[in-house]
Amino acid sequence: MLTFIKIALRNIFRNTKRSLITISAIGFGLGALIFIWSFVEGAHKQMIQNYTSYLTSHVLIHQKGYHEKSTLETYLQSPGPLLSTLKQDPRIAATSPRVRADGLLSSSESSAGVLIYGVDPDQEKNVSRLSQRVKPGAFLKPDSDKDIVIGASLAKNLNVGLGDKVVIMSQALDGSIAAGAFHILGLLDTGVEEIDKGVVLLPLKATQSLFVMDDGISEIAVRLKTASQAKPIAHDLARNLPSAKLEILPWQDVSPMMEQWIEFDNAFIWIIVIVVMIVVAIGILNTVLMGVLERTREFGILLALGTNHKQIIAMVAWESLFLGLVGSLAGLIIGSSSSLYFSTAGIDLSLFTSAMNSFYMDAFIYPVLHPGYVAVSVILVLGTSMIVSIYPAWHAAHLKPVDAIRSI
Amino acid sequence: MALLETIHLKKTYTIGKNIQTDALRGVSLQIAEGEFLAIAGPSGSGKSSLLNLIGALDTPTAGTVLLDNQNISEINSQELAAFRLHHIGFIFQAYNLINTLTAVENVEYIMLLQGVNRRTRESKSEAILERVGLADYINRFPQEMSGGQQQRIAVARAMAAEPRVILADEPTANLDSKTAQDLLDLMAELNREKGVTFVFSTHDQLIMERAHRLITLKDGVITS
Repeated sequence: MLTFIKIALRNIFRNTKRSLITISAIGFGLGALIFIWSFVEGAHKQMIQNYTSYLTSHVLIHQKGYHEKSTLETYLQSPGPLLSTLKQDPRIAATSPRVRADGLLSSSESSAGVLIYGVDPDQEKNVSRLSQRVKPGAFLKPDSDKDIVIGASLAKNLNVGLGDKVVIMSQALDGSIAAGAFHILGLLDTGVEEIDKGVVLLPLKATQSLFVMDDGISEIAVRLKTASQAKPIAHDLARNLPSAKLEILPWQDVSPMMEQWIEFDNAFIWIIVIVVMIVVAIGILNTVLMGVLERTREFGILLALGTNHKQIIAMVAWESLFLGLVGSLAGLIIGSSSSLYFSTAGIDLSLFTSAMNSFYMDAFIYPVLHPGYVAVSVILVLGTSMIVSIYPAWHAAHLKPVDAIRSI
Repeated sequence: MALLETIHLKKTYTIGKNIQTDALRGVSLQIAEGEFLAIAGPSGSGKSSLLNLIGALDTPTAGTVLLDNQNISEINSQELAAFRLHHIGFIFQAYNLINTLTAVENVEYIMLLQGVNRRTRESKSEAILERVGLADYINRFPQEMSGGQQQRIAVARAMAAEPRVILADEPTANLDSKTAQDLLDLMAELNREKGVTFVFSTHDQLIMERAHRLITLKDGVITS
């Protein structure tokens, strides 16, 4: 076996230029694959992070039936004990009680339908990044009951600015008209149009009072310590929390579209993987086949001396494996180092900011190097390099020695 | 009893779709163990075709090749490979060494295929290379050596397998007369010392003169 490995290795060094071209093809192919996977993984992580950092947290807890029909009447009464239980759960980082209602926001010039969120300013800061996205102006304060934060686009549509007075009209829980005047304390600029155009934030207590809800709330937004555990933790909470009247949904179930988009994106990546694999396969096939055809006479001699088919196939396969291994190592270095570099430096896509924001992405994408994807990429490339060597190896093994020796 | 025997051996090559050429037209020949035999004849007479069939590199269109009464005309390509490995040694006109292996590795290669252990392979290869006068060149690659030296490695490689018969296809064609003479001396000595049967196909007058028996082929038949 050692002699066959030796022959394979020396054949690689015999035509250094061609071997280097193949190694480069494998290296850049694998490097590109690892980088693309890291980029998409980073983008997905950012999408999920941003998506769960605004209104949809990792897990939302409602009264049963709220997800199907989101009305003010389907609310959680006296949520104190439930909030205390949740706070004791070591998997939960923070919780924020909210009131959520539809309403009409009017300025002196115009009015618009809005989604009203009553939030506890202190608790909301630990669950969402809404407070960080207020510019210009400031986020709500716990003791303020006449302040409001509204979406930046909404403010533009209503032609209002900081300090201006706006009026909210809606229907309270008891059927009475809920109406109140508030001063704009800050403008919400998340970049996500559906929030900036249609969401207003009020202090929780003021909202409860406006809608005559006592201490009732519409939902509890839960931020987990490990975002990826949203589904199992939500299911576990649903099983173990005492009240059977709760509806506990992970973010994937709150809005299946985001999960579907990510799944679609992951499926699309496989098309890129296949294209890269084809390029790598053609690169290796070209080199190995050329190498075999060029050495037809030598294979003829080996066969004439008594080398059997399996030994010839092994010789060609070792050659491909070595090219694949060195190419993979190069690819691993290229892909990992570029991914790691950009994971801190970020990739500036500010040219596409508005499109990116619509998909909950920022102007900078930070690739995330995922060991699983790296392993899959290496296995795919190595596997491809072995598979494409089958034909050249079979061709070499089945040469007729007498004809092969005569060839030049 | 003959070591090698061909009976009514025929070989027809098909060129393109329809053109058929008869390289051998019924050659019957007996070669005894230990012979130093030359097959001569003009180009196209069928010398190389006959050698290829005797050496199990090719299969006959008709007729039989027997080695020790074993019919080798009807066995498959894998069995032919094993047969060549254990019974036949080859020396080619163009040396045909493996360029990626050194002199000693070229000689060792056949023994490796035969399953000989490493220590035996190494000591035997070095001894054979010393015998053919290349003791100082064992770690050189073929392209670093002269034609005569390369052909000596080819002889050493053929000897390493300890074959019953060595087939040499125009072994001196690419060598100058002095080198050819030396090589022939070497092969004659090996024939005498080890009793290995040598069969040459040749144009070379020198080989014809040194051969114990000379067979002449013309147009695919033995003429003398």
